[in-house]
Formats: sequence, C-alpha cells, structure tokens
Amino acid sequence: MHDRLTQSMRASHLLAAFFVLAALGLAATGAATGDSFYLRLGTEALIFAGLALSVDLLLGYSGALSLGQALYFGVGAYVSALTLMKVPSFWLAMGAAFAASLVTAIIGGLIANRVRGVYFALITFGLAQVMAKVVYNTRELGASDGMIGIPVVEIGFGPVSVSAGSPAGFFLIVLAIIMGLYALTAYLVDTPFGRVLTALKANERRVPFLGYSVWRARMAAYVLAGVIAGLSGALYPMLRGFVSPELMFFATSGNAVISVVLGGVGTLIGAIYGAVLLVVLKSIIGSWTEHHLIVIGLLFMLCVMFLPKGLAGLVRPRIAALLERRKQGPRAGAAPADLGSVAVKPGSTS
Amino acid sequence: MTAIDYLQFVLAPQVVNGLALGVAVVLVALGLTIIFGMLDVINMSHGEFYAIGAYAALALGAAGIGFWFLLVLVPVLMVPLGMAAERLLIRPVFDTKDRHVTTLLVTFGLGLIVEDVLKIIFGANTQRPPTPIPGATEILGIILPNYRLFLILVGAAIVLAVAYVVYKTRLGAMVRAAAFDRNMAASLGVPVSLVYAGTFAFGVGLAGLAGVLLAPIYSVFPTMGRDFILLAFTVVIVGGMGSIWGAVVAGLLLTQVQALASLVISPVWTDPIVFGTMVAFLVFRPQGLFGRLGHA
Repeated sequence: MHDRLTQSMRASHLLAAFFVLAALGLAATGAATGDSFYLRLGTEALIFAGLALSVDLLLGYSGALSLGQALYFGVGAYVSALTLMKVPSFWLAMGAAFAASLVTAIIGGLIANRVRGVYFALITFGLAQVMAKVVYNTRELGASDGMIGIPVVEIGFGPVSVSAGSPAGFFLIVLAIIMGLYALTAYLVDTPFGRVLTALKANERRVPFLGYSVWRARMAAYVLAGVIAGLSGALYPMLRGFVSPELMFFATSGNAVISVVLGGVGTLIGAIYGAVLLVVLKSIIGSWTEHHLIVIGLLFMLCVMFLPKGLAGLVRPRIAALLERRKQGPRAGAAPADLGSVAVKPGSTS
Repeated sequence: MTAIDYLQFVLAPQVVNGLALGVAVVLVALGLTIIFGMLDVINMSHGEFYAIGAYAALALGAAGIGFWFLLVLVPVLMVPLGMAAERLLIRPVFDTKDRHVTTLLVTFGLGLIVEDVLKIIFGANTQRPPTPIPGATEILGIILPNYRLFLILVGAAIVLAVAYVVYKTRLGAMVRAAAFDRNMAASLGVPVSLVYAGTFAFGVGLAGLAGVLLAPIYSVFPTMGRDFILLAFTVVIVGGMGSIWGAVVAGLLLTQVQALASLVISPVWTDPIVFGTMVAFLVFRPQGLFGRLGHA
C-alpha cells in the first residue's frame, strides 16, 4: 500500500494523461483545420503553465509564496531572445536560458532564503521589481518597448526538424517540454527530497530534528523552481517573436499565483490546468468586456476562501479513491484524503 | 554655479520634495503596518483603498464639498468599507493555518476587483483635483510650494496622533492586548472581534486619508494604488513589519535616497536604486530596522 502522497500523485498523473490527450486532440483538430490562432493561444497557455508549475513547487510543497517568479521567466525569455538573435539555435537558446536562470536563481535564493513567510513573499516581489526596472531602463535590451524581430528557429532532433513557426509542431514541442518539466517535478516531490519539502511546509521547526538541513532543501526547491520558470520563459520569444519587460512585471507573477490557486495549490497538475483555465477565461470574458479582472478576481477570492485546494482539490481525491478501490477491491475503507490534510494534521495516520 | 547656489536651488528643494514624498509614503505605509502589526494580516489591497480615497475626494470635491471637510469625511466614509472587507473577507480565513498567505491572496483578489471597478466608474484617464493651497513660500531663499509644506506638517501630525493613540491611550492598549493574546484579551472583556474589525477599518481609513491628501500632488488614476503600494511595502519591510516608527524612519530614509539619487543619475534609475537598497538592507538585516524576526 502506498502512502497518501504517492496516491494523490498517481491521481495527478491520471489528470496529466487526460491533459495530454486533450492537448493532442487540440493539436490534431488545429492541424486539420489549418488553425493558427487557437494553437498559438494554447502554446502560450502551456508556456505560462510552466511558470505556474514553478510557483506551485514553491508554494504547494515548501510553503513559500513567491510573488516574483516572473523574474526567472523573464531572464529565460530575454536570454533566449538574445541568443536566438546571435545564433538561431533552439538547443543553444534553451541551454543559455537554463544556465542564466540557474545562476540568477542561486543569487536570488541566497537573498530570499534568508527570510521566510511574509518577508519571503515581499522580497521575491522586490527582487523581481528591481530586475524588471533594470530591464525596462536598459536601452540595449529594447527598454520599455522590448525586443522584436526574433528569428523563427528550426528545432532539430537529429535528422528531423520542426519549425517554431509551425503552429501545431511548436505546440507539440512546448507540450512535451512542459509535461517533461511536470514529470520531473512530480518525480522529485515523490523522492526523499520531496518529503523534506512537504515536512517543511507542515512544520519547519521539526525538520532540523529529523536531521535535514532546512536551508539546503529550501534552496534546492527555489533553484529548481527558478530553472523551471526560466526554461518556460525561454520558449516565449520563439512563439511570439518578441520579448517585453511586461514578462517580468508583477502582473505576470500575479497571474501565475492566480493560476496555482484556481487549479489547486500543491497538486502540480492543478497549476497547469489553472494556467490554461486562466488564459481561456481571459479570452472568453475579454470577448464581451474589457473588465475581465473583476470576474477573475472574484473567482480567485472565492477559490482562496472556499476551495483552498482549488479545482484539482475537487477532482483529485475522488480519482485517488477510485484508484485505491480498484487495486484493493470493494473492501477498501475510507477514501484517502488529499495531500493537504496530511500536511495540516501530521498526527492523523488512519 | 557656486556651492551656495547649488545648495539653495538644487539640493535643498530636492530634499524638501523628497521629504514631501517621504511623508506621503509614510501615510500610505502607516495603515499597512498597523494592519500587519495588530492583526497579523498582509493587506495587498491597501493601495486600492488609497485609490478609493483619492477618487472619493475627486468626486465629492467636484460635487462642491470643500477640501477641509473632505479630510474628515472621506476617512469616515471608508470605515464601513473597511469593516465590511474585514467581516466578509478577512474573518473567514483568519484562523486558517497559513494566515499570512491566505489573507495576502484574498486581499490581492480584492485589489484586482477594486481596480477594475474604479476603471468602470471613473474611466482610465488620469485626473487631478485642484490644489487646495496654491502659491509658494520662500524660506531662506528656497522656494517651496505651500501644499508640500502643508503635507509635511499634516503628515507629521497624523503620524504622531496615530502613535499616541496606539501606544498611550486605553483604546490603544486594548488593541495591542487583543493583538498579543486574543483569548486573554477576550476574557478580560475586550470585544476582540470588534477591535479587529475596527483596527482594519482604521487602517483603511488612513489609506483613504492619504488618498485625499496626495491626490492634488500625485494625480488620480485607476492603477495609482499599485504604483504607490510598491514603495509603501518596501518602506514597511525595511522598517520592520508592524513597526510604526520603523515605517517612519524607513520612509523618510528611502525617499531621501530616491530624491538625492535623481540629482546624480537619470530619474528612471531611482526605482531600481530604492528597491536595490531594500534588497541590500535585508541581506544584512532581514527583520528590518525595528522588526522582530520571529514575528512574521
């Protein structure tokens, strides 16, 4: 019998599989009808899903709310754009974005991880603000206009290659990368490292007594989240052909937090669903009013207050229960609770 | 230009301008730090309450109500708004495990909504109410706008009055007792839930007052709260969250950094310098000037 964390992660994987199927369906329909608008919108949603995933790794597992995750997203995007303008190579751009976000996240982590709780939230916010303003003021980076005219790359996999300009092809590549990042994160939170993170969220003071370094675990989570955000950001200029300082502003970080809360904090797959939901909501509401913030803000507040585990919190425990029942036969007892209740009540082991 | 000229025409006016901005930031930060210090709640919508105050002053002023009356009327009108926000949004999540994060998120959502509502009612354009005190005064050969001098004096008076109420009166003692130990205060007869709602409403009223006072200088537009709140949060962090004096010292310090930096380098770089100062400061003193680290 697996513990609850593994169980709920399995339910997440089922939701992830469903997500991939739906995305493949969209890609097939889009390719068949020659659509580019919805495929490009879907690709953008996936890219922001990567950013949401990185926020959820921090908030949902180590309990640290980052209000400045767009910093790493923006670093990835700008470095990728700069690389592509010099050498139009997908792999080089991704490698450079990886290295740059790794280094930035280590520096950012050294600063932000000196504090916790509210201070952490506000320092990450401040760090992103500094960086966004620096980019905004630097003429070499296009200042407030950003940089345009980033060339369309050919993404080569040995003998075959896909153009980033092909809507369906690039959608599939982004889907593979984002789901790869999801798989990596989901795997890591299921390892002993992930358990230390969960322990941090439940009770940070007890963790040192178990022989683990709080700082090291927090730092590892922070750097990992920064790299995930950076790699997601690196895909943005390939899709849109431009980068702008807005990618680093608070609105971008805020949207990622909204996605995570809508989808379900601490579920990973929920963050991805949440990001897609947010993009869909914005374009639907945006088609009849420009004041979409009211609806999204209201939905967000209701989620925080009445649905603390988000949409995934509604669905996932049922799937987990179903999975468990199928394995153990109909005699299996109470439905397993979701991960959150384990974290809140460390004493309950039933 | 001689050294005296530089002092008289460049440095001194800049220091006074910085001081006026400092007082403005401290006014916005004051409500923020009180709500955090007393309630242990991060109010991300504080900037939007400041914007509501400014718009209320604009609308009521256009309807013919005088500035001096608005200084009292707008904060009073904000109180029921703050009470309602506390009861409907803060209280339901006040006892959740991670209060800081939950209240931050709820008020963040509220801020988004208020910003859009303001846009619907008043439009997206920037507006500016007329200056209630026109003219300028010459002090020691330095020409200073009267309204800025007025703002500095009124701001100082407000900060002192608030500090007096919080630290020296019986009411303040009750509020601090309720913040320190809710159950103990309740068993001693302090109406704790009323105190919480009242404190939140008081902070919101202060934001509204700041809105009335700053509208003639910094204009009124729907996203004004977001722009100012960054600086206010920075001030609260550097000062130490929940500390009134910390907010005052940090507010005056950071705005002087900003004012003096803009003499040396292009003004567009002052924001990164202020936020950079915050980051550098927190590397060496994470709990802020007067903060206690265990508190947050």
